[in-house]
Amino acid sequence: MQSIPEIIRTIPLTNYIMLSSALFCIGILGVLTRRNAIIVFMAIELMLNAVNLLLAAFSSYYSDPSGQIFVFFIMAVAAAEVAVGLAIIVMIYRNIQSIDIGVLNKLKN
Amino acid sequence: MNYQPQDFLPIFVQLAAALAFIVLVMVLTHALGPKRHSAKKDDSFECGIESIGDARTPISVKYFLVAILFVLFDLEIVFMYPWAVNFKQLAWNGFYEMIVFMGLLLAGFIYVIKKGILTWEK
Amino acid sequence: MTAIIALSLFGISNLFLGFWFPRKTIQLVTLLFLVVSMALTVSDWNHELLWFGNMFRTTNTSINFSLIIQLAAFFVVAFSKAFGQDDEHTHPAEYYAIMLFSVVGAILMVSFDHMIVLFVGLEILSVAMYVLTGSDKRNLRSNEAAIKYFLMGSFTTGFLLFGITLVYGATRSFYISNIGTILTTTAPESMPSFLFIGVLLIIVGLLFKVSAAPFHFWTPDVYEGAPTIFTMFMSTIVKTASFAALFQLVSGIFGSLYTVWVLPVYFISMLTLVVGNISAVYQQSVKRMLAFSSISHAGYLILTVSSKQISTTSSILYYSLSYTLATVVAFAVLILVSEYQSARVEKPENFSSFEGLAKNNPGLALCFSISMLSLAGIPLTAGFWGKFFIFSDTFSRNIIYPVILAILMSAVGIYYYFKGIIAVYLKAGEIEKIEVPTLFKMALWACTLGTIILGIYPSLVKSVF
Repeated sequence: MQSIPEIIRTIPLTNYIMLSSALFCIGILGVLTRRNAIIVFMAIELMLNAVNLLLAAFSSYYSDPSGQIFVFFIMAVAAAEVAVGLAIIVMIYRNIQSIDIGVLNKLKN
Repeated sequence: MNYQPQDFLPIFVQLAAALAFIVLVMVLTHALGPKRHSAKKDDSFECGIESIGDARTPISVKYFLVAILFVLFDLEIVFMYPWAVNFKQLAWNGFYEMIVFMGLLLAGFIYVIKKGILTWEK
Repeated sequence: MTAIIALSLFGISNLFLGFWFPRKTIQLVTLLFLVVSMALTVSDWNHELLWFGNMFRTTNTSINFSLIIQLAAFFVVAFSKAFGQDDEHTHPAEYYAIMLFSVVGAILMVSFDHMIVLFVGLEILSVAMYVLTGSDKRNLRSNEAAIKYFLMGSFTTGFLLFGITLVYGATRSFYISNIGTILTTTAPESMPSFLFIGVLLIIVGLLFKVSAAPFHFWTPDVYEGAPTIFTMFMSTIVKTASFAALFQLVSGIFGSLYTVWVLPVYFISMLTLVVGNISAVYQQSVKRMLAFSSISHAGYLILTVSSKQISTTSSILYYSLSYTLATVVAFAVLILVSEYQSARVEKPENFSSFEGLAKNNPGLALCFSISMLSLAGIPLTAGFWGKFFIFSDTFSRNIIYPVILAILMSAVGIYYYFKGIIAVYLKAGEIEKIEVPTLFKMALWACTLGTIILGIYPSLVKSVF
């Protein structure tokens, strides 16, 4: 029976880098093209998860747990960000009944 | 390492215990509790909100606060897994560090309670 | 090191003090807390040590940066007046607690020795700033600033993290000192190519935070929309901390990859100088002008990143200190004037609301003018020496053209900073005597005096740094 790190190592590292980069780029595209604040936010989370995936892959390739510890920190901090971010979105929704970020243009001269 | 089928026995014992507890509790509540029927009682439970109707009704912001607080406190558990796995190696030192960590969380929780975020009726 | 533990505990106790004490008391207590933490920071002086599993390093440079950050926080707290309308929905203790927490984040960012500490510090600082930016809940401009800052900030964090991950993939370490050793001992050709992408992504992530062009587009909007007191906080503390982190990474551990980042960094520095200064000229609003001015100051600072002189660190510290002192005064006067004008004119933050300030408020006018002079870099103020040290450091590395551009751009800067002085002294306008609280007045004069003393005796602090 193979251990999980061994199974992970049967796939070349390049594939993980490609997959994470692809996910990361999808996230970037989502942030740049979508107008709904929640969806932009989900795209940002996708970027963070691409990072988590790559960290876990590196970590098991190198048999070094610090990469996975970093993943824990990213997850915990992302939760704090979610809390603040959703609070901001709710605050805006209560003021303008919309979460379209295109509507927010009071500050552009 | 090779596992024999009997190595999994403790898991099945625990599974059986968990199932038995659930069945016992369900049977007990049905046997002991009073039985009342009404339109409201027989409705599927949706946290006190009417389960049929427009899904885009305004919902009290209190739900949101509780949900967010849940996310925050729930995710801190993530730091307890590494500690639990290495509980013996980390020994008392790890325990004290965890006490500090939980103490900080507890301070936040006391603050939340004192602030009245969790009181539903105000 | 003890300072960050103390500040975290002070922040928590601040939260609870808010249940029993009014804002005034908490403000004074917070000032006291900051003095204590500064004393604790100084106590690590000359002990270069590693803490928390070798993840946190206190050096004299990091102590100096932390002191500048805490000094800035001290003045911001001293300048804080009522937050919004002091109704039942404002919780002043929370603002002070969040400020203390974000100072912890900033200190982590200037003294990290492990990527996790950099990331966690950056996030503590940023998440706190998102809350403070949106703290004027009913004001749509504040809301808009908050969501822009939040989306841009977490977007940037993604870049930074991806960069950190790629660097980890190439070097198998998160420790700054390990990465530095690996990068200097290995030939760049034998490194995987994604290392260079990682380095560039980290640099881009931090350049977003210091708002360097072309990553600056969020800055004017966020600075304008946020309550002025928190704009003051952002433009001093966030900028200093992010720049210190950038400087430590780029000139420290990525030093051996000089050829990878030097051209992009020069290009970005020059672009930032041009964009910041030229756009500032066209601004009607003082707050927006100060936002662009903070962009242009980021440009001057980035110029120094690549000049590997021994004196560079001290020049950067001196520049950060002089910029901080001048900026807090400018924003403090802006708070007073815009508060006074808010009932009288439609746009209280424009230059026009400063007209005639000198007639009945000579003190305020003087402080404002000195801070403008210092930002413009006129001799006898701290800003002059800040620019002087930076230019001479860069010049001695034979980097001629960027320095010439920077000097030209600081000439442009004189134009828009003097617009403020002209409005205050030469234009006619009706401003009555503005009531200034005692603490506010003391902090105002302390900063102004600091600017002048640093301008006359630059060696006073330059020898310490």
